[in-house]
Amino acid sequence: MQEQNAIKVDDLTVAYNYKPVLWDIDLVIPEGVLMAIVGPNGAGKSTLIKSILGIIKPLAGSVKVFGKPYQKQRDKVAYVPQKGSVDWDFPTTALDVVMMGTYGSLGWIKRPGKKEKKASLEALEKVGMLPFQNRQISQLSGGQQQRIFLARALVQNASIYLMDEPFQGVDATTEKAIIQILKELRKAGKTVIVVHHDLQTVPEYFDWVTFLNVKKIATGPVKDIFNDDNLTKTYGINYKVSMQK
Amino acid sequence: MTSAQFEIQLIASLVAIACAIPGTFLVLRKMAMISDAISHSILPGIVVGFFISHNINSPLLIVLAALTGVITVVLVEFIQKTGLVKEDTAIGLVFPAMFSIGVLLIAQNANDVHLDIDAVLLGEIAFAPFDRIYWEDYDLGPKSLWVIGTILLITIALLITFFKELKVSTFDAQLSAALGFSPAIIHYGLMSVASVTTVGAFDAVGAILVVALMIAPAATAYLLTEDLKKMLGISIVSGVFSAIVGYWVANFLDASIAGSITTVLGVLFFITYLFAPKKGIIAVLHRQRQQKVEVSLLTFLLHLHNHTEENERHLDHLQDEINWQRGTSKRVVDLALKNNMITINNQIVSLTDKGKLFTEEAISYIISNKKSEIEEMKSRFFLFRG
Repeated sequence: MQEQNAIKVDDLTVAYNYKPVLWDIDLVIPEGVLMAIVGPNGAGKSTLIKSILGIIKPLAGSVKVFGKPYQKQRDKVAYVPQKGSVDWDFPTTALDVVMMGTYGSLGWIKRPGKKEKKASLEALEKVGMLPFQNRQISQLSGGQQQRIFLARALVQNASIYLMDEPFQGVDATTEKAIIQILKELRKAGKTVIVVHHDLQTVPEYFDWVTFLNVKKIATGPVKDIFNDDNLTKTYGINYKVSMQK
Repeated sequence: MTSAQFEIQLIASLVAIACAIPGTFLVLRKMAMISDAISHSILPGIVVGFFISHNINSPLLIVLAALTGVITVVLVEFIQKTGLVKEDTAIGLVFPAMFSIGVLLIAQNANDVHLDIDAVLLGEIAFAPFDRIYWEDYDLGPKSLWVIGTILLITIALLITFFKELKVSTFDAQLSAALGFSPAIIHYGLMSVASVTTVGAFDAVGAILVVALMIAPAATAYLLTEDLKKMLGISIVSGVFSAIVGYWVANFLDASIAGSITTVLGVLFFITYLFAPKKGIIAVLHRQRQQKVEVSLLTFLLHLHNHTEENERHLDHLQDEINWQRGTSKRVVDLALKNNMITINNQIVSLTDKGKLFTEEAISYIISNKKSEIEEMKSRFFLFRG
């Protein structure tokens, strides 16, 4: 059986004020992988995700999600932005934030009802946050806030999950819990794409990896391409990663 | 109360509600100053509308004024996007420019009409009942009431229809964009509502009070609740309360109504700022003090836990070595005693079983950095109660 591509990026170039952030990226992400995007600060990792989601308009190039433009496939994609991108003092509860994940399938004007609430409670349970459903979001710890964001993505019941640094500022227990859920998603045939910083954990957590530094350096299975050569090309210094596993 | 008095209060209350709704979202979007910019820069829109229609009551004035409000927002964003100046600077550049164009236009061409700077800045709601609408010979009420009533109905309808979209785009614009709710459309929609409301309200209460009515009730509500719907409700209630109380203060002092309403808004916010149960300054200071005592108590218990020697556990030694002021020491020892954490025999302090258990649990949670467990533990040991 021929494997379908979850995401196909062609000749993508993004520039902020004429400075290229992503340069001529060609990228094919097969369905059903758990993939890390790694690269130094300013490599364009978040920009790549936002371009896939149409949040950023590229200078050139195109993105296809299951063969069609993202705008026609919104319901198949869930997004977890960086935790720091929102104001956690916003007057709302954990449950309400998770419910926002259901807004996409509702479309304009229609309001969430019982069905959406039930799905949101289930998602909260999956991330172990059910007891905190009525907690004001500023009173959650960093790890709990990240779990809420994950639950909000889960409730979208998508085929592709795009996550921007979900492990940033979370404790070790939460990191393990999150990766467990991501692995379950992959087992269920979903495609999970994660902007990731901790190179040490790449072989343990992921089966697919993309090296990015403005240009695409390499993409493929972790076991084939996660090596010192690609790391050096990406990070620019002589990188000796501990591949001793 | 005469019917004119009633009408003034009714108009002021409707203006307060119409302002509180967009104001709540402006405050949450950290865009409070944009309302100031809009309230001033709609002036050229009003003036140009008057030149075209030659009628101060023409709806064209509202349309053009709202349009200049939106243009202001666009200009501010345009200047900001160049990256050469920050947003507050951009606002400070755009609205005086727009306002001064309006002032010049009035001075040049419209000296003989009822468009003067004082009225624009301060408004005069006291005259609102005199400007009435008639159908045949039937009195339909003050014109301002109809204008602001219509604007309010539209605002409420939009709020109810797009509440979900407003919420998600205000909280998380990126998710909103990914889900297909264009943050730009919602942003400009909100700005249009804010502009139209400003125009409608400003005839009655003036440019300065419009800003106060948008921002102060929302800021007050923000300190009192952690729920968006309640925040909207409290904004509306405190706006209406200030409008009515302000009216009677003005009546009593024989002063400007707009000025009195603004004063009440300010006083209301100040009281909330001091006394709000969770976020008020007194509650915050109290909490910080309590936390200090808690940490001191833990330090004290930890010291007892670490030392079995009697000389290390003598009350005098504690004061000398831990280097606390007499008051702090006494408060900590009293607290520990009251919670049965320690016993004192002959000036020698010992941990009780409960004290030992508490200290050991606390140490393990502090080492593993489990903040929420500490909170839970505190309530389990009835600390600070009774």
